[in-house]
Amino acid sequence: MLQFSIVEQVILAVFLLSGITFFLYHLLLRLKIVLKGKSDFSVDELPKRIIRVFDEVILHKKVVSGDRKSAGILHALVMYGFIFFGLITINHFGMAFGFPIFSESFRHTYFLIFGAPWAILCTIGILGLAYRRFVIKPEALGKFSSTSALVSVFIVTLMTTYLIDELHILSGAAEKFNWWLHSGVIGGFLFLIPQSKHMHLVLSPFNIFLRPFEVPNHGAIPIDMEASEEELDNLLLDLSRLSKDQALDIFTCVECGRCTEVCPANRGGGILDPKYHFILDLKNPMLESGDVNVVDKINVEAGWECTTCQACTEVCPVGNHVEKADEIRSFQVLAEGDVPQEYQKLLRNLQETGNTEGSSSSELLNELPVYTADKELVLWLGCFAKHAMDPNFVSSVRNFVKILESAGVTYGVLSNEQCSGDPANKLGDKLTYQLLMDQNVEELNKVKNVTTMCPHCVVNLQKEYKKYHEIKYEVKHHTQVISELLDEGRININPGSLEKVTYHDPCNLSRTLDEVSAPRNAIKAAAPEFFELDESGKDTLCCGAGGALWWKKDSGEGRTHLLRAEQVIESKTDTVVTGCNFCYGMMNQGIGPLTPAGQEEIKVKDVADIVAENLS
Amino acid sequence: MILVVLENQRGKIHPFSIEALVAGQKFAKNLNCDLAVLCIGEKVEELKSQAQNFKSSKLILAKHSLIDMYSADGYSKVLSDVITELSPKYVLFGHSYMVRDFVPRVSAKLNIPFVSDIISVDFNDGNPHFSKQVFNAKLATSIEISSDQALLSFQSAAFSNDDIEEGEPESEVDFNVQLSDNDIKSKSEPEFQESSTGVDLTAAELIVSVGRGIESEDNLPSMESLAEAMGAEVASSRPVVDMGWLPPYRQVGSSGQVVSPKLYFSCGVSGAIQHVVGMKGSKNILAINKDEDAPIFEIADYAVIGDVLEIVPKLTEEINNSK
Amino acid sequence: MKIAVLTKAIPSYESSIRVDSSEKWIDESVVNYVVNESDSYALEEALQIKEQAGDDSEVVVVTLGSEANTSKVIKDGLAKGADRGLFIKNDSKTTDPLTVAKIFAENLKSENFDLVLSGLQSDDLGSGQTGVLIGELLEMSTATLAIETQVEGDKIKVKRELESGWFQWVTLPFPSSISIQSGINEPRYPSLKGIMGAKRKELNTLESTPEAQNQSFVNLFIPKNEKVTEKIVGDSDAIVAKLMDILKNRLKVI
Repeated sequence: MLQFSIVEQVILAVFLLSGITFFLYHLLLRLKIVLKGKSDFSVDELPKRIIRVFDEVILHKKVVSGDRKSAGILHALVMYGFIFFGLITINHFGMAFGFPIFSESFRHTYFLIFGAPWAILCTIGILGLAYRRFVIKPEALGKFSSTSALVSVFIVTLMTTYLIDELHILSGAAEKFNWWLHSGVIGGFLFLIPQSKHMHLVLSPFNIFLRPFEVPNHGAIPIDMEASEEELDNLLLDLSRLSKDQALDIFTCVECGRCTEVCPANRGGGILDPKYHFILDLKNPMLESGDVNVVDKINVEAGWECTTCQACTEVCPVGNHVEKADEIRSFQVLAEGDVPQEYQKLLRNLQETGNTEGSSSSELLNELPVYTADKELVLWLGCFAKHAMDPNFVSSVRNFVKILESAGVTYGVLSNEQCSGDPANKLGDKLTYQLLMDQNVEELNKVKNVTTMCPHCVVNLQKEYKKYHEIKYEVKHHTQVISELLDEGRININPGSLEKVTYHDPCNLSRTLDEVSAPRNAIKAAAPEFFELDESGKDTLCCGAGGALWWKKDSGEGRTHLLRAEQVIESKTDTVVTGCNFCYGMMNQGIGPLTPAGQEEIKVKDVADIVAENLS
Repeated sequence: MILVVLENQRGKIHPFSIEALVAGQKFAKNLNCDLAVLCIGEKVEELKSQAQNFKSSKLILAKHSLIDMYSADGYSKVLSDVITELSPKYVLFGHSYMVRDFVPRVSAKLNIPFVSDIISVDFNDGNPHFSKQVFNAKLATSIEISSDQALLSFQSAAFSNDDIEEGEPESEVDFNVQLSDNDIKSKSEPEFQESSTGVDLTAAELIVSVGRGIESEDNLPSMESLAEAMGAEVASSRPVVDMGWLPPYRQVGSSGQVVSPKLYFSCGVSGAIQHVVGMKGSKNILAINKDEDAPIFEIADYAVIGDVLEIVPKLTEEINNSK
Repeated sequence: MKIAVLTKAIPSYESSIRVDSSEKWIDESVVNYVVNESDSYALEEALQIKEQAGDDSEVVVVTLGSEANTSKVIKDGLAKGADRGLFIKNDSKTTDPLTVAKIFAENLKSENFDLVLSGLQSDDLGSGQTGVLIGELLEMSTATLAIETQVEGDKIKVKRELESGWFQWVTLPFPSSISIQSGINEPRYPSLKGIMGAKRKELNTLESTPEAQNQSFVNLFIPKNEKVTEKIVGDSDAIVAKLMDILKNRLKVI
């Protein structure tokens, strides 16, 4: 047993206390900033939150995922190593003061069963990760990180000194040195963690616990046209502030770069780099100002490239809501009047004609029956279908109508349907959004059940509008209606031809609305040779039209539709089915030009098309 | 009397002015009156020597050092003086950027209406009606004059310079230009170009033009091969230049070159009005486009509704084989 | 410096343009009126000149027409940053540019503007003369199709766009009336503050009586398409064969 002199005990005490003080100071500094944020933390559905922490922290579900499964496993080894190790550490210090917590025999047993194996596994883990970071150097991890280097050295040292200690390899001065080295490293962590990404050790379980369930979770920005100048100034000031969640996210970020890796704008050649533009660029400004008024530090050009597909938020292993396009765009539009030229016409069209195309009439609207109170369902068309933004989609609407009629469902359209406002909302023009939303809510609160083929419309009518108004109606996506009709036996689908069929999940439907099974239920009934694309379900790759980017068509770079269409072509499918009119339009645009010569052009269908073709 | 004003374009009579002269000759014949032709300002001697090849009653020279370089102040003052002295019933111009710049000054100075950008004339037994396009060419209007005189400018290709009557002026006269420094308040610098011109499309007999319908820059070489096979020059609409696929001097349209080749072969060009204005004077127009509602088909002699990316390579091959 | 921006409300590009029963005008009931595109560029140029001048320059948005069609044009200008608005009421369909210019000149004379900016032409009737006519009537220097402007003391330098990729710089003394080419700048979008502040800005309405016109519309009609277009159909091989025939035998170009 090692003996410690008073001097050594004092030095140790001072060392530990200063470490703990340092650690707490920086932690509380950050928490103070976080608490200045807007709105409150979400603590609803507690059981669901606890289960999520278990899944994502203990089971490492988001870490061991995608292309990073092996790295994720190595990280798990390090994390569990830490956990198993942490228990013993207390004993290590207790010993110095003459208060060992565990008996020798317990320590020894623990060492044999948990301590040694985990020390070894942890070392393997950290060496593997260090190899990956410093030798393989994946791009997403960024430039050389001195803290990561230190952490690697620290952990290896820690495990090694532990093993040496327990195996009683050394004695005398060497043993004492080994002990101090071990303590020095643990104390060193106290100084290292708070100012580096390793803060995620402390913060991520909380951040994951507090993560809002709604994705995305941008706050409402209600605008009162009769507001006084003072009220307006406050509203504008507020636009530059982050929420508590967002501020905590930024301090929790582990800089893994997964968000950037999945970002369609980044992959499409744009400049958007969510890790920096939406998260890390804001960290120092927050620390310097001691406040959360940092929205204006988000790179504006990057902000306009975002398709708001939420892939970044979906993939984050530490519970961040990454995307902040809503914040920077709202700031630019409302406070600065800065709207890119190609969107100004779009917004004016919405203000003047209530639709995105500036149209004064709709052929499709005129040919469909009008809704009356005796009908079951309101068929909400959306601007894309109403104004034939892709003329082929009009026949998909007719196919959906055919399905409804064959099931005997009565339906009608609303003649004064205005744009749901999604493009205005996504572009940050909350004023135009409110104009359209207020008119729509008034009409929709007179009805009960609404269906639409556009997931963007569902998101707005059902979820976004709820942030501003009381909503009395219910909205279902048409794939959900079709799936229900199928399950209830009100329609029958015969398996169709044996051509290869795949499904592209629209990001608004799969991630924002959490719906991946209804479309598959319908498609699989019609297509015996159905197969999944890479990056399907909630990992889907955005078609590129989100975030109002459909209307930003004429620029060259950052064109994301090429990516998904390319993937679809590479999959060698015969038909690609999708559940969103924008995805449909983007596939039609991308597949034609990109199909290599000699290969047959892939057919693009909506779920309604493939079901209607195979109705019995 | 009809007065036609000739404009200088780098030492030559501007092609639009020749078309205005054709109009003038027709007006003079129809209204049974004299035709005077005015050479004014820049390069006036060169204009005069070229104008001596065309039939007119009188060739007028308005020369002065203060209008050796164009200015709206100078030209409008001198032209107003000429009109005041000669009292022509109609003064004719080609609708060029220069005419847009100074003729309204004359209109306001002399209180004479200026009917601009005319596409056709109905002589209507001595009370001519002038047609022009309005509302983005969705509609046209017929305009009548209720004053004694009018200033008229014609859109390119409203009249064709093939119809010019050669001959010579019956008389020539120097106009006594009264101008002082005070009359010219603006100071003009010499004209310049921003990008290097490689090609004068206006001289080309055959043109193959590409529009956004070729879908990608990668498809450009196959269009260029067609042009090569035909011995044609390559031109384009504005979006193609804006996207950087071709340099600006290839652009045909209201802000590019105005061409009138024997054959204008357009590939994937939709035919927006700003482009059409630059090529509708072509003798023959052949258009390939996937969209049967493309406006280009309204002015095309031959309309191919099909996929330009499929047709052009095959056509190029056939042409090369037949040589 | 006092700057006037002449702004016109015109039917949007997507509007249905139909001749009305009089056959002399369009059916306005199906039309959506918007700000003429090149006028937006003129307004932006004026606002930028004002911002660069830094002093207490004033930008006044001026429009002429019927109340219904033009009110949004003024609101838009004020929301973007113009200081006040001037609405010249004219309910008749005045199509003669000189008549319109005279109404403007009469009402603007007393304001003594240093600079009058207008779009190069309006996308409804498209005569493109108004700015220059007003300039002459108010004894100003003039220039058209400006693609760049630079204020230098008591003068303004203008880069004129010419045909075929040529340009020319012209220096004009104030007062000056300049027509602006689209693409000269990037027009701003009104900020929230601008939109809400527009209500509080000064807006004056002036009555007008147009003189008799010297040029007027006899009628308005849908242009006849007299061109005989030969359609070439078939699969690509058939089309290529026909094209070869046309090129070789009919047009004799190969």
